[in-house]
Amino acid sequence: MASSLVSARDRQTLVNVVYAAFPHSTFPRGPYERAADAVIDQAGKDPRFLAQLLQGLTDLDAQREVPFAELDADVAAAVLRGADGTPFLTAVVDSVVVTLYSDPEVWELLGYEGPSYEQGGYVDRGFDDLDWLPDPKIEHDEEMTA
Amino acid sequence: MTRFEYDDSDVVVVVGSGAGGGTVANELCQRGFKTVVLEAGPHLTGEDYHQDEWAAFGQMAWSDPRTTSGSWQVATDFPGLPAWIVKAVGGTTTHWAGACPRFKAHEFAARSTYGDLDGTSLLDWPITLSELEPYYDRAEIKMGVTHRHGRPPLPANNNYKVFANGAEKVGYKYYSTGPYATNAEPYDGRPATVQDGFNFQGDKHGSKWSTLVAELPKAERTGNLDLRPDSHVAQIEHDASGRATGVLYVDRNGTLRRQRAAVVCVAGNSIETPRLLLLSGSAQHPDGLANSSGQVGRNYMRHTTGTVWGQFDKPVRMWRGETMAGVIADESRLDTDRGFVGGYYMETISLGPAFLAKFIAPGRWGTPVTELLDQYRNTAGMWIIGEDMPRADNRVTLSGETVDQHGLPVANVHFDDHENDVAMRRHGQRQGAAVYQAVGARKTIETPPYPSTHNLGTCRMSQRPRDGVVDRYGRAHDVPNLFISDGSVMTTGAAANPTLTIVALATRQAEYIATELNKTLS
Ligand SMILES: Cc1cc2nc3c(=O)[nH]c(=O)nc-3n(C[C@H](O)[C@H](O)[C@H](O)COP(=O)(O)OP(=O)(O)OC[C@H]3O[C@@H](n4cnc5c(N)ncnc54)[C@H](O)[C@@H]3O)c2cc1C
Repeated sequence: MASSLVSARDRQTLVNVVYAAFPHSTFPRGPYERAADAVIDQAGKDPRFLAQLLQGLTDLDAQREVPFAELDADVAAAVLRGADGTPFLTAVVDSVVVTLYSDPEVWELLGYEGPSYEQGGYVDRGFDDLDWLPDPKIEHDEEMTA
Repeated sequence: MTRFEYDDSDVVVVVGSGAGGGTVANELCQRGFKTVVLEAGPHLTGEDYHQDEWAAFGQMAWSDPRTTSGSWQVATDFPGLPAWIVKAVGGTTTHWAGACPRFKAHEFAARSTYGDLDGTSLLDWPITLSELEPYYDRAEIKMGVTHRHGRPPLPANNNYKVFANGAEKVGYKYYSTGPYATNAEPYDGRPATVQDGFNFQGDKHGSKWSTLVAELPKAERTGNLDLRPDSHVAQIEHDASGRATGVLYVDRNGTLRRQRAAVVCVAGNSIETPRLLLLSGSAQHPDGLANSSGQVGRNYMRHTTGTVWGQFDKPVRMWRGETMAGVIADESRLDTDRGFVGGYYMETISLGPAFLAKFIAPGRWGTPVTELLDQYRNTAGMWIIGEDMPRADNRVTLSGETVDQHGLPVANVHFDDHENDVAMRRHGQRQGAAVYQAVGARKTIETPPYPSTHNLGTCRMSQRPRDGVVDRYGRAHDVPNLFISDGSVMTTGAAANPTLTIVALATRQAEYIATELNKTLS
């Protein structure tokens, strides 16, 4: 459950933090928002993490003249590197690396096909369709025993 | 559903229902012995499984606390998760891939073959390959291992095509889709694989051998199996004469139960098995049950592992098809001139984006991670797995402070890489990269070891009682009716994936227990 202490602006900053941590130029904002919301939900169940999150976001905003959310991508990345190893960023990264890359929209963007059993697996859908190398042997004659 | 009485002292109690426990239980049931299997985890089946890496891991992996220490990288990257072990009926055979090489003759005599290497506790096994060969045959037939006993090989999938072409180019000869315990065609009442790509998450189709789909249902049909899921064994009890009398376990309602037994077989995998012995200390066994040697928990091995990824200009789609149906065996040879003793295999591996992002560079973020993920579609993967050195201080102990939900001290896993392990890993990663470069990889990436999927050696077999915990049949040197039935008994780890050998040893052990029990019961 999201805490009322996390403001809309905190959430925007967090979405930018998530993007700066895992910047994919091909991804829309949706997956980043969902990953940020998952962080906020998690913090809602863990007062210590929530406190670190609120403080961490405030600290990031104080690094440059303008708030973190208004920084150019390069500058944002540099600012975030300055926070590497802090409990705040470590906890955010640990959460996001799981949720972002478990997001079906992200799977599609990366070309991953996700669950396949309902479609009968890949036995008739290209498990062996790689055609830029010759078909290799699949058995060897003698056993290697020594 | 068979039920035996709590105070029926004729039953065999088996702790754990994975590769070792499920096999020993079925073999005993087939011979007419009343068998109670106590499994800490729930009874889930194919329909329950998720084709989503983290959901599947969360559903079935052992997530009770554990602690770590030592200089191994896993202790830094995953301090609370030293191992990937499943807590469910079927144990880790539900998540395993299925690669099934045999151990080699010299690997049963590691101390004699490799010599007295500094900083190791190498020891020869008290058995030889030729003694185990008939049981390897039986295990392969039981498991329907491809390439063996007339079972056809699995076809080449995309990941294998890259791997095999690279192998050929660098001059390797012994590459194939490998002995693999998943059906290429229907076998033993189970269907052929549909190549759905989900192995590490549990096989919904049931074409992969596991004790869940093969051993336990067969045992059930004999009427001799009493399978109790959600039953965590907390202690093994013994009498004044030193014989085990049964176990205490916490049932699904949190009630402590006593199950009496004629024989106790422990197969909780090599972290939980020594933990249970250490938790079963008594006035007669002050350092833990069956631990007069002080060897319980020591010589923990995990295989020397690492992963190499190759990224190409064209799509690979490694996630399609059987995850580990590809092996290069050339580096598993006996050749101590490579700067290390022991051999290793290269095997295909595939992870989805979620696990790849987590494991490729644990704790890292930023463009180094995202650039690799952006090439996901064009990525091929292989796993390096080789023999690691047993060391007395690589060891499972009881954690000082951390307890589980039942108040039982959890296992601490301590591990320091031996320099031999480091040299082997480096060699393997170099050779792995060469395989991919030979077929045009634009980039190769090395990934450090994952939480241990292979856990071995913590109750090792030894000729002399002072050198180990169990004898040549897995019987505790100190307790005549206590057996260890899992990979804990391995004196050394060999290069091969361990499960085929666990199943062969458990099959042999059951035959021995049956003979012994028939003597005492008649
Ligand atoms: C992702 C993955 C891939 C793998 N691929 C391969 C492969 O290709 N080839 C190969 O050879 N091996 C592979 N393995 C390893 C293989 O799964 C193990 O070697 C094998 O399952 C070990 O058998 P076991 O009987 O020792 O333990 P497990 O199969 O782990 O079973 C132990 C069982 O005991 C239960 N238990 C533990 N403590 C207690 C207690 N106190 N009370 C009651 N129950 C308890 C556990 O819940 C568990 O169900 C893989 C493993 C993983 C994780």
